[in-house]
Amino acid sequence: MTDVQSDPSRRSERDTAETPTYACDDCGRRFYTQDLLVLHRGVAHPSALDEGERDAYREAYAAEERAIRSFRIRALGILVLLYFGFLLLYVFYAS
Amino acid sequence: MPRDASARREFATRWSVRVVTFGLALVGALLLARGAAASNAAVGLSDASSDGLAVPRWLYVATGGAAIGASALLAGFVTDRGFVERLHDWRRDVAASNRVREVGRAVAAFVGLALFALVVYRGFTGPQLSTINFGVVVVFAGGRAGLTMAAYAVGNVWPALNPFETIGSRLPNGFVDYPDRLGRWPAALGILLLVWLETTTGLTDTPATLAAVVAAYGVVAVAGAVLVGSDAWVRNIDPIATFFRFYGRVAPLAWEDGRLRASLPAMRLVDIDERTDNVVDANEGNDPVSDDSSDPRGQLMTGMGDVAVAVALVWELTFSGFVTTEQGVAAVRAVVGVGVPPTLVYAALFVGGFALFYGAYVAAARVSVRRVLTTRTPRELAVAFAPSLLVVAAGYHLAHYFAFFLSLLPSLLAVLAAPLSAPTNPVVLTLPAWVSALNIVFVLGGHLVAIWVAHSIAYRLFPSRLQAIRSQYPFVFVMIGYTVASLWLISLPTATPAFLG
Repeated sequence: MTDVQSDPSRRSERDTAETPTYACDDCGRRFYTQDLLVLHRGVAHPSALDEGERDAYREAYAAEERAIRSFRIRALGILVLLYFGFLLLYVFYAS
Repeated sequence: MPRDASARREFATRWSVRVVTFGLALVGALLLARGAAASNAAVGLSDASSDGLAVPRWLYVATGGAAIGASALLAGFVTDRGFVERLHDWRRDVAASNRVREVGRAVAAFVGLALFALVVYRGFTGPQLSTINFGVVVVFAGGRAGLTMAAYAVGNVWPALNPFETIGSRLPNGFVDYPDRLGRWPAALGILLLVWLETTTGLTDTPATLAAVVAAYGVVAVAGAVLVGSDAWVRNIDPIATFFRFYGRVAPLAWEDGRLRASLPAMRLVDIDERTDNVVDANEGNDPVSDDSSDPRGQLMTGMGDVAVAVALVWELTFSGFVTTEQGVAAVRAVVGVGVPPTLVYAALFVGGFALFYGAYVAAARVSVRRVLTTRTPRELAVAFAPSLLVVAAGYHLAHYFAFFLSLLPSLLAVLAAPLSAPTNPVVLTLPAWVSALNIVFVLGGHLVAIWVAHSIAYRLFPSRLQAIRSQYPFVFVMIGYTVASLWLISLPTATPAFLG
């Protein structure tokens, strides 16, 4: 899979044993990766962001967008398989 | 949020997704409706109806499961947080008059008391025939079917009707503090107990027994309200009030801040305060003390007891569906034939099935946490996603009781018009065959809306949208399991449960 690098939750699966070290300054919620913290701050405390954080959030959001696009392609593939699979099943078995 | 080309693209995707979803749902429904026979599995008063499947049953069931899986994938296509938020934040004021509300409450309280008295009185003195007895018809066609359908389709009126609360809250009450660590478990057990009584004791056939049970329930409810306080009783223990409150959350109409407001159906289930909040009022972990009952933020569910209630609502309909099918009856007979007492078989089936449903759901929460690497606990996820089960339960309820309610509607109106005399010419409607095909639409529709509710909830829980999508997979598999079981049940021919009543 080529999207491993841009997909925050997937990339972090390797470090499962680590403790969540990235804590949000505003609410104290902890995260396993920097990306998740950045996304969390952008979504939950948009008004508390400074300029640097805002840029980081934009970047993380765009990276996530790329990962989501690859998810969409795979999901579409599965839907097509399901559709034609069931079409064939109905051709053979329904009467 | 970057609003540029990607936003426009998202808008386009959104619309195409909506069109595709609708098209797929329509095609699926038409395909399924074509050859499937479904049956009314209302306990006790059911009448058998069946005809052959043009589609093999395994294929019909698999199609239903696939429809759920496909719609979960499609929901994953909607990644615009703003759009998701707008859908469940949508509200319209319908009425704002407190006067109307007070008058309505007073009238409803009176009606509730009168109905309670009449159900008990006519249950004992009325004709001992279930289809014309006031008690049986009002409790099952009126309350169990009609009022419940109204609770999730329109709005919940039980808090105003509830005769036990009307009495209990006027007596001196609250002598003992309700132990908060019990959460909503008493209500979950109460619901299971009532369903057990309904299924196994022939309440639907013997009006006098029903009247005795209703009277006993009234005594227990008033005594309980006096003991622990009316509010604590209704919120945590009273199974009927909890039943209606949970179903009522699905409804589009509700009083919020003194105003009657309309929302999109089922969208009030997404009530997690904000993305930052702890879902459970917990010090987290398995500490039973955190199974708290107070809901300071107006949240419907705060502990595992609430999850149990939601699962119980799904399971009770599956169970009553199973024991009234020919296959279910055959299975029970086979086990009893070995020498096991029938009651024990039903009890094992009832409790075991509930444990299976509950276990599958909790296991999904555990798997979900392991998959997405979050600091949220499995418990938090289980509680957060549980409201989506209520839509599933509402779909099942509609599938089980819609035809039943329609056919008994004339009887219900007749007994309500003349409570003190037996109807001279009771009418039970015979419904056209296509009504039973609607059942499949109800079951699938409930699951589809539930998928969307879970999607919205996931977006509130997780900062990363991919996390939100991934977190749902285990729950989707559990839902596919529930769908498959339910679609299979409504496709089976019905029969009278063995060894009961």
